[in-house]
Amino acid sequence: MATTETGTAATTLTSQASLALLKDVARAMFPHPSFPDAPYEHAVGTIVAAAEADLRVRAQLEQGLRDVDVVGGAPFADLDDAARLDVLRSIEGTAFFEHVRTRLVTGLYDQAPVWDLLGYQGPCPDGNGYLERGFDDLDWLPDPQIEDPAREEIVR
Amino acid sequence: MSATEIRGRFDTASFDEDDSDVVVIVGSGPGGGTLAHELCERGIRCVVLEAGPHLTAEDYVQDEWEAFNQMAWLDPRTTSGSFRLAKDFPNLPAWTVKAVGGTATHWAGATPRFKAHEFKTASTYGEVDGASLLDWPISLEDLEPYYDRAEEKMGVTHKGGRPPLPANNNFKVMGNGAAELGYRHIATGPYATNSVPFDGRPATVQDGFNFQGDKQESKWSPLVSELPKAALTGNLDLRASSHVCQITHDARGRADGVLYVDEDGALHRQKARAVCVAGNAIETARLLLLSDSPLFPDGLANSSGQVGRNYMRHLTASVYGSFDKEVHMYRGETMAGVVADESRHDTDRGFAGGYYMQLISLGVPFMAAFVDPGGWGPDFTRIMDDYASTAGMWLVGEDMPQSTNRVTLDGGMTDAHGLPVPHVHFDDHQNDLAMREHAWTQGTKVYEAVGAKNVKRTPPYPSTHNIGTCRMSARPEDGVVNEWGQAHDVPNLFVSDGSQFTTGAAANPTLTIVALGIRQAEHIASEIGRGAL
Ligand SMILES: Cc1cc2nc3c(=O)[nH]c(=O)nc-3n(C[C@H](O)[C@H](O)[C@H](O)COP(=O)(O)OP(=O)(O)OC[C@H]3O[C@@H](n4cnc5c(N)ncnc54)[C@H](O)[C@@H]3O)c2cc1C
Repeated sequence: MATTETGTAATTLTSQASLALLKDVARAMFPHPSFPDAPYEHAVGTIVAAAEADLRVRAQLEQGLRDVDVVGGAPFADLDDAARLDVLRSIEGTAFFEHVRTRLVTGLYDQAPVWDLLGYQGPCPDGNGYLERGFDDLDWLPDPQIEDPAREEIVR
Repeated sequence: MSATEIRGRFDTASFDEDDSDVVVIVGSGPGGGTLAHELCERGIRCVVLEAGPHLTAEDYVQDEWEAFNQMAWLDPRTTSGSFRLAKDFPNLPAWTVKAVGGTATHWAGATPRFKAHEFKTASTYGEVDGASLLDWPISLEDLEPYYDRAEEKMGVTHKGGRPPLPANNNFKVMGNGAAELGYRHIATGPYATNSVPFDGRPATVQDGFNFQGDKQESKWSPLVSELPKAALTGNLDLRASSHVCQITHDARGRADGVLYVDEDGALHRQKARAVCVAGNAIETARLLLLSDSPLFPDGLANSSGQVGRNYMRHLTASVYGSFDKEVHMYRGETMAGVVADESRHDTDRGFAGGYYMQLISLGVPFMAAFVDPGGWGPDFTRIMDDYASTAGMWLVGEDMPQSTNRVTLDGGMTDAHGLPVPHVHFDDHQNDLAMREHAWTQGTKVYEAVGAKNVKRTPPYPSTHNIGTCRMSARPEDGVVNEWGQAHDVPNLFVSDGSQFTTGAAANPTLTIVALGIRQAEHIASEIGRGAL
C-alpha cells in the first residue's frame, strides 16, 4: 500500500481503507453475486467493532489484512475473483482467516435483508404462522401419504 | 393470546428447606417434569430445582440465534475424540436448554417407540468389536403400557384417535422421493405437537419455529403440560434459576439432600427423602461425579466406574437436496415427517441397528452455521443461494455404546460457579460410520428420485440426543441404576432422564424418557407407600 499522510491510518482497523479491504475479503470468502455491499459492510463492521475490545484479535486482523494485500503479488483490490480465492486458500487455517470466517458465517447470514435475498421469510408478523401463507403450497409434486397403512410391520 | 391464557406461567407452593419429607428432582425437562407430575398427583410433595429461568411463551423469540442465546445451555464444555464435533464445535458438543421445561422447549416432537430387539441388543447384535452392548433389564412389553400413557400425556399424533399433521412442502419432497425409491413406511408422525386442539392447547399454526420456544403452546413440553398440572395439586415447589452443585448423603450413604446455588449466587441446602437427577446425560453424570465424598471417592453411585461412560448421541447426519423449483422448507412443522423403512435391524446393510429419515429444516442463520461446518467460498454460497429451493432430512440412528466414550470432569476449566466443567470424549464407532455412510447414500437417492440438482451431506450438529451416561443394568457391576432408574449403590437416589438408557435405539429419546418417568414414579410411590423410602 502507498505511504499515507499520518503513518498510522494504514494500520488502523477502523480506517476506510481497512474496512473496504475487509469487505472485499468477506465478499471473496462468501461470494453472493446477487448481494449488494451493504450486508457485507454490516457484517464487517460488527467484526471490527468487536475487535476494538480485544487487542490480540485486533493485532491478528491488522496483520491479516496486510497479508492479503501481499501474498497475491498485488493488492487484494486489484486481483480478479479467481486470484482472490487463491489468496484466501493460501491463508486458510490462519487465526485471521478463521476469525473472519466464523464471524461472517454467523454475522452475514443473521440479517433480515440477507434472508429476503435468499428467500427466507422468517417469522410471520401476526402469530398466524404459515397456515394460510403457503406451508403446503408446493404443487410440483403430488401429495404423499401422511399415514403409514403398513405401520404394524415396522413399528415393533 | 392474552396474558392470562399462558399455560407456562404458573406459581407453585413453597416448602421448607429443612423439610426432609420432600422428593428433590434436579431438572424440569421431560424426565424431571414427568416424574414431578406423576408424584404430585399421588400426593407426594416435590421440590424441582431448575438451573435455568422460568421463561414462557411471551418471552420466546422467533429468531434462531436470539432464541438460542436466550435459552441454550451455554456454560462451557470441552471435547476430545475423533467425532467431528470436537473440531467443528469444540465447546458446544451438545445443544441442550437451560430453562424451565428443559430442552423440550426447543425440541421438535418426533416420538417413535423403541422396538423389541432394541432392548436386547447384546443378544440380538452379538459381539460387536469395541462396543459395550448390554441388554436392558426391561423389555418392550414392560414399557408398552407406559408408552400408551406417555403418548396420551404428550398428545402424540397418529395415536389415541388424534389425526396426523398435514404434509408441508418439505415433507412433500421427502415423502415423494421415498415412495419413488420404494420405501413404504412414510408418515407425518407420530409427533407431539397438536394437529387439532388437545389438552387445552391449540393446534399448530405451522410457524416453523419448532427448534425455539413455541409462542402458541401447541407443542408439548413439561412447561405447558406436566408442570402446571403438578402445580395445581399444591404438591409442587418449582425453584427456577437454582443450580444443584452437590448431592449430599448421610453416614449410611443414603442421599439426604442437595446443595444448590440461587440466582444471586447464594448457597442453599434442601433436605430430601429421595433425590432424582434429570439434568440431561452430560449434566447428570457431571453432578454425580461432583458429588464425590470419602464414602464415594469416585463420585456418587459410581462403585461400578460406569458413571459418565457409554455416552451416546445417536448417529445423526443430514442431507439437503436442492431443486429447480421452490420448496420453502422452513414453513410448517420442522420435523413432521418420517421414513421408517431403514429403522429395522438388518446386517445385510453392513451394520447393526437401524436409522430413521426424518424431516428437518433450518432457517438461513442456522443453515449457514450448520450445513457445512468450516465451509466457505463458492461451494458454500451455492448451497445458500439455493436456500428457497432446498429440502432437508435428518438421519437419526442407533450408535454403539463404548465405555471410552465418556463424560468426565475437566481438570482445567470451571464454570461461573467455580465448578469443573464437563469434558465429553467421543470416538465414532466403525458401525456408526458404516451406518452414516449408508444413510447419506439413501438420503441422497431419495432426493435424486424427485430430481435434485445438488445434494449436500451434512455432518452431525451439536448433539440434541444425549444418553447412556448412567446406564440401567441387571447387575450392579455393569451399570449405575437398576430397572427403575434407582442407583445400585444408593437406594434413594434415582436417575430420571436419558442417562439411564442401556443402549440408545434408533428412535428419538424423549417419548421413552417420559414413559420411563411414569414407570419410575409408580415405583417411587410404592416404595414410599411401604415405608422403604
Ligand atoms: C433442537 C432440538 C430438537 C429436538 N427434537 C427432538 C425430537 O423431535 N424428538 C425427541 O425425542 N427429542 C428431541 N430432542 C431432544 C429432547 O429435547 C430431549 O430428549 C429431552 O428434552 C431430554 O429430557 P431431559 O429431561 O432428560 O433433559 P432436558 O430436557 O435437557 O432437561 C434437563 C434440565 O435440567 C436442568 N439442569 C441440568 N443440570 C442441572 C443442575 N445441576 N441443577 C439444576 N438444573 C439442572 C437443565 O437446565 C434442563 O432444564 C430435541 C432437542 C433439540 C435441542
